[in-house]
Formats: sequence, structure tokens, C-alpha cells
Amino acid sequence: MGTVHARSMDPLPMQGPELGVQADDMDLGEPDREEKQEVLENKDVVVQRVHIDGLGRTKEDILTYEIADVFRAKSLIDVMKKSHEARQKLLRMGIFRQVEVVIDTAEGADAVPNGLDVTFEVKEMRRMTGSYNTMVGNNEGSMVLGLKLPNVFGRAEKMTFQFSYGTKETSYGLSFFKPQPGHFERNFSLNLYKVTGQFPWSSVRETDKGISTEISFPIWRTNHTLKWEGVWRELGCLARTASFAVREESGHSLKSSLSHAMVIDTRNSSILPRKGALLKINQELAGYSGGDVTFLKEDFEIQLNKTLFWDSVLSTSLWGGMLLPLGDKPSSIADRFYLGGPTSVRGFSMYSIGPQSEGDYLGGEAYWAGGVHLYTPLPFRPGRGGFGDLFRTHFFLNAGNLCNLNYGEGPRAHLSKLAECIRWSYGAGIVLRLGNIARLELNYCIPMGVQSGDRICDGVQFGAGIRFL
Amino acid sequence: MSLAAEAFVSQIAAAEPWPESATLYQPLKEDQILLSDSASSLAVQTFLRMCGLPIQVTCRPNAEYMSPSGKVPFIHVGNQVVSELGPIVQFAKAKGNSLSDGLDDVQRAEMKAYMELVNNMLLTAELYIQWCDDSTASEISRPRYSSPYAWPLNHVLSYQKQWEVRKKMNAIGWAGKNLEQVYEDVSQCCQALSQRLGTQPYFFNKQPTELDALVFGHLFTILTTQLASDDLAEKVKAFSNLLSFCHRIEQTYFKEHDRESSGSSRHSKGSLP
Repeated sequence: MGTVHARSMDPLPMQGPELGVQADDMDLGEPDREEKQEVLENKDVVVQRVHIDGLGRTKEDILTYEIADVFRAKSLIDVMKKSHEARQKLLRMGIFRQVEVVIDTAEGADAVPNGLDVTFEVKEMRRMTGSYNTMVGNNEGSMVLGLKLPNVFGRAEKMTFQFSYGTKETSYGLSFFKPQPGHFERNFSLNLYKVTGQFPWSSVRETDKGISTEISFPIWRTNHTLKWEGVWRELGCLARTASFAVREESGHSLKSSLSHAMVIDTRNSSILPRKGALLKINQELAGYSGGDVTFLKEDFEIQLNKTLFWDSVLSTSLWGGMLLPLGDKPSSIADRFYLGGPTSVRGFSMYSIGPQSEGDYLGGEAYWAGGVHLYTPLPFRPGRGGFGDLFRTHFFLNAGNLCNLNYGEGPRAHLSKLAECIRWSYGAGIVLRLGNIARLELNYCIPMGVQSGDRICDGVQFGAGIRFL
Repeated sequence: MSLAAEAFVSQIAAAEPWPESATLYQPLKEDQILLSDSASSLAVQTFLRMCGLPIQVTCRPNAEYMSPSGKVPFIHVGNQVVSELGPIVQFAKAKGNSLSDGLDDVQRAEMKAYMELVNNMLLTAELYIQWCDDSTASEISRPRYSSPYAWPLNHVLSYQKQWEVRKKMNAIGWAGKNLEQVYEDVSQCCQALSQRLGTQPYFFNKQPTELDALVFGHLFTILTTQLASDDLAEKVKAFSNLLSFCHRIEQTYFKEHDRESSGSSRHSKGSLP
């Protein structure tokens, strides 16, 4: 590292500069600088060369796809626009720390008067970057070490390793990511991991050791992900006092599943969007590729956003899912759905709705949840245009139900079962956006439709998360 | 089990009588259970029968992981879960069922010493033969232990178990022994038990105690379980008073019980030679 090579790239043959050169331009050769000044704005120009300066281990061939469009530009404005787009594409690959664009008139023996040279001055990422965090949460403190190798083999491949050493549990994950050259959205990734989770609402500790491979690709406006996952799961009781229903689920299982996810996202932001819609459909078939867990799982998520008067936004969302155990084994506590908490049906404690045994929530095989939110800016709009824009006040109405279905009964019975004993809640609160990945909420909630066994959080409830109803 | 946990269990246990629905959990009888677990399970069942406490036996492939101590068998009584013979004896005592109340302090100490001998010698020998004798491990223990699991988890779990037991053998200094030495240890243990028993019906004369349950559990299982070779059973068969002891307990607590109440809890097994 550290040495900077300058390399020139020959233009792609298709858009060769010769094609755009007119014969009468060739014999202009006055040495006088004054006369060489021309207003290029509305004139046809030809991009003769594109240089990328500062390449070290990056292979040129993947970059030609990203910058090819620059050669198609026909006017200066076009060149600037295309160069800007190319810069964005280069940055998106996550292999450069910095990309600067310099547009200059062409020089050299074969330069033409309306020829331009575009130079991308890039700074590659370090071969290896590391991070170190400490986290506190869930009655546990942990130290997270991360290692990232961007651009391992020079074609935007990425290798990441994370190791988390906690006071109770250790987890790690190793992942390899490779995009298809020229189509960054089409990519392949391979993950190896060990994750341990403690779920106090079910008194369960789960240790997963797994391997997964994933292919993502866009079709029209949708994004698809196909995934195979093989995971060895070990369930255990968190405490001696765990209910016997949870104790019965303890032990090892091997899940091998194929899953498909489809996402359409037209929202302008994933946290606090102002407009647009989201549709997510996920289906998982476990058991036919090995392992001893068999089920079919379907779930979906819909969100619609609309801006109303005075910068307020009306947001509605609906979630639902079903788990169908195939074969004669009942479903596992690790596969079932959970509902409730400050990020789903507010006013109830975390995952504390539905079937339970001695205070341990066992989850359900079917659920739905819906929410209507009205987001408005803070009253009197303090900190407008700055810090204050990270906050919103919201009024919400949530509802949902979680239960087990008897699959022999038919769809009509299922619908009536999901429609009875609906839990719902309403309230208001303040939302804080954290970057574009997470948000914090402080709400005053009034839970309604509480069934016996549900654990509620009447009054002030604090929530943090990345997925919200 | 820690002292605090033990105290906790006995305090809670005292409150309620022994329910009819009490259940004993063990690994699958036909395909999965191994000699050592089978012996421990039989010892607990024998003890409960001697106390006259009803128990239903349920087989679960994940019994080992359901157990709070990671060892089988365990019993589920009311909302209590108690594993292994020692704590179960304590638990039954807290509910007012004890076999060793008639003993004086010296006898009780002696009983504890013999129980330790059985656990340290017979149980360890069983574990050694199961997991450290290569032919037994590969032909019997690993395939049976891993039978409920899918490939490749079956291999992972059985080798993990084998590795754990071998580590334990290393720690207690048994790793250097060969099979002959282990058989010799079993023989010596039986010799000691045989001498203590003498011509009495039970170890402490007329009344059975938990020691009788433990010895019966191990010896009877050794005698009736088909292993890679018959050598282990042959060592036990050399002591005729131990054989008749096993026969007597089987007759008294299993055959008769089953005849009386064509029972819900039946322990089907081979008969003595």
C-alpha cells in the first residue's frame, strides 16, 4: 500500500473517440492559447480518455462497467452528469475511501479540439480495517471486535469477521460477499456464524451454528433474495425455574431451509419515511434439503406512507405470517412467531402476547398485526432544519393477534380464530431517528383487549429497534 | 446440585404430597439409551418403587438436554424437576419418604461410602467401556447415542460426547487404563459389595435402602445388556450372592408390582440368567 499508480484506460471500442471526430477538426493546431478557449457548454464533445488514478489492487475490468457510461456523453453537461453518476457507482462498491473527478480538455498526440479527458482520482480503502465496540444490553456486557477486508481479490469482494465476547455469551460471524461485475445489485454472499441469544420472555437460550449462502438480484422494481441455510440449533432453559413446556423443547436440532424473499421499496427513507410504500414477502421451506425440522413459513409486511398537511405523515402498516409444520413433529419454539413490545403492538411487554406456560411465552403459528400512525413535527418545531428534524411526535393505533391454528379446520375457522381476542392499543409519543437504520421511541400507551396471560406495559414505554409496526 | 439448591428443593417439596402424575424421563429405550444411563434410570425407578412412590416412565430423545443437570434420569413431580439419584433421594425424603431413617449415623456413613464406591467404580467403568473402548464406542455407543439426529449432526454430537467422557477419564486418571484393568476394578468393587452383603437379604439386613437400589440398578443392567463382549457381565456373575440379590429385588419390586397392578409403569427387561 501507499504507492499510487496512474493508469490510463483505453476507451471501450464501441464508443471509440474516432467515431465522434469530424475531419475538419483535425487540422486545428495553432499554438495560441487565446484561440483555444472555447465555450463547450452547448457543443458536442467527445470523451477521449478516462483515467483512474490511484488504483492499487483493484482490477481494472470491474471498473470499466461502472465508468462505461461516461463515454456515451455528448455534451459537457452530460459529461459532468455521467461522471457524477460514475462517481456514485464507484463509491457504492465500497472499495474507495474517496473519489474525485477532474474533467479536462484532451491532451496528447491524438487529442481533438472538442475532446475531453476525465480523470477519477480515487483513494482505495486499506487492505484491512478493524473496529472495536463495547455494548451493554440484555443484562449483558460485550466487546465486539470487527475485521473488514474490502476488495480482497480486487473485484469488490468483501470479507468481514465479527467476534463478540460477552460476559455470558460469545458469538462470531464470518462473511464473504461478491458482487457481479457491473451489476452491484446482483451479488452472492456466504456466511458462517455462531450466535447465542437469550430470550427471557420465553426463558430460552438458543445457540445457533450455521452456514448460509445467499443470492440477491433485482427483477424490474423488486429485489429478490434466494437463500439456503443449514443451522445446528441448541435450545436450553435460561433458568431452573423455566416452565416444563420450554424444558421439553430443549436439545439439538438441525434445520436446513430454502427461503425466498421479495422486497419492493419505494419509500424515500426506511426510518420515518414521508412517502412511498414497502412490500416484503418472505417464504421459507425447511426440511426438504436435509435436517430434522420440517415446516413451511410465510410472512409479509406492508407499509404505506402519505404526506398530509403541515408536514405530517400518515403511515399504515400490516404484518402477517403463518407457520405450517409438515410431517408429524410439532413446530419448535425457535421457529414460531412472537408478537408484542415497543416495536410491534405497543403497550404490551416484549413478545408477551399469546400462548404461554407458567409465564414463559411459547409463540404462535399464526399472527397478524396492523398499525396506523400519524407523524407530525415537534410542537413549535424547535431546532428546525437541524437537530429538531430527527424528532417526530406520533399518535398511533396498533392491533394484532397471535395464536395457534388447528390446520384441519379450514380457512374460515382460522380467520375467525385470528379475529377473536384481538389485542390493541393506542397512545402517543416521541420518535428519534438514529441515522438511517434505527429509531428510538418514547410512548405513552394504553393497552386494550388484554387477554389473560398477556403481560402489559401500561403507561410509558421505551423502545429501540430497526423494524417497526 | 449446590447446597442452596438442595435446601430450596427440599423446602418446596415438603409442602405438597407425591402426585400420581409423577414422571421419570429417560432416553429412548429401544434405540438410544446406553448402559450407564439405563443403570442410573433403573436405580432411580427401583428406589421409588422401594419407597412405594408411583412413577410413570417416559422416553424422550432429548431427555439428557431436558435435565437441569444434563444427566439422566430426572423426575418431574408437580412443578419440580429433580435429576439423578442423590437429589431424588433428598427430594423424596423432604416429602416424607425415606429408606434410610432406620439407620444409625455409622451405618448411614457406611451406606454413603458404598454408594460412592458404586458411582466411582461401576458407573465410571460403564462410561469407560462405552466411550473409551473403541469397538464398543463405534459399534454400540455412537450409533445408539446419535440415533435421533439427522446427518451430519449425529456424528458431531456423538463425537462431542465421546470427547467429553474421555476428557473426564483423563481428569480422574482412568485414561491410561486398559480394558483388563477396568474389568479388574469392576471385579474388586463387586468383591467389596459381595463381602458387605454376605448372606443378608439387603445391605443393611432386612430393610432395603438407596444403596440397594443403586447396586441393583447397575448390576442388573450390566447383567441384562448386550455389549460387544460378555466380559463385564461375567465379572459380576462370579459373585453368587450378588446374583441372588438382583434376582430377589427384581422379584420383589418389579415382577410382583407388575402382577398386582398390571401397571402403567412397566419396566420390560430380560430376566436373570
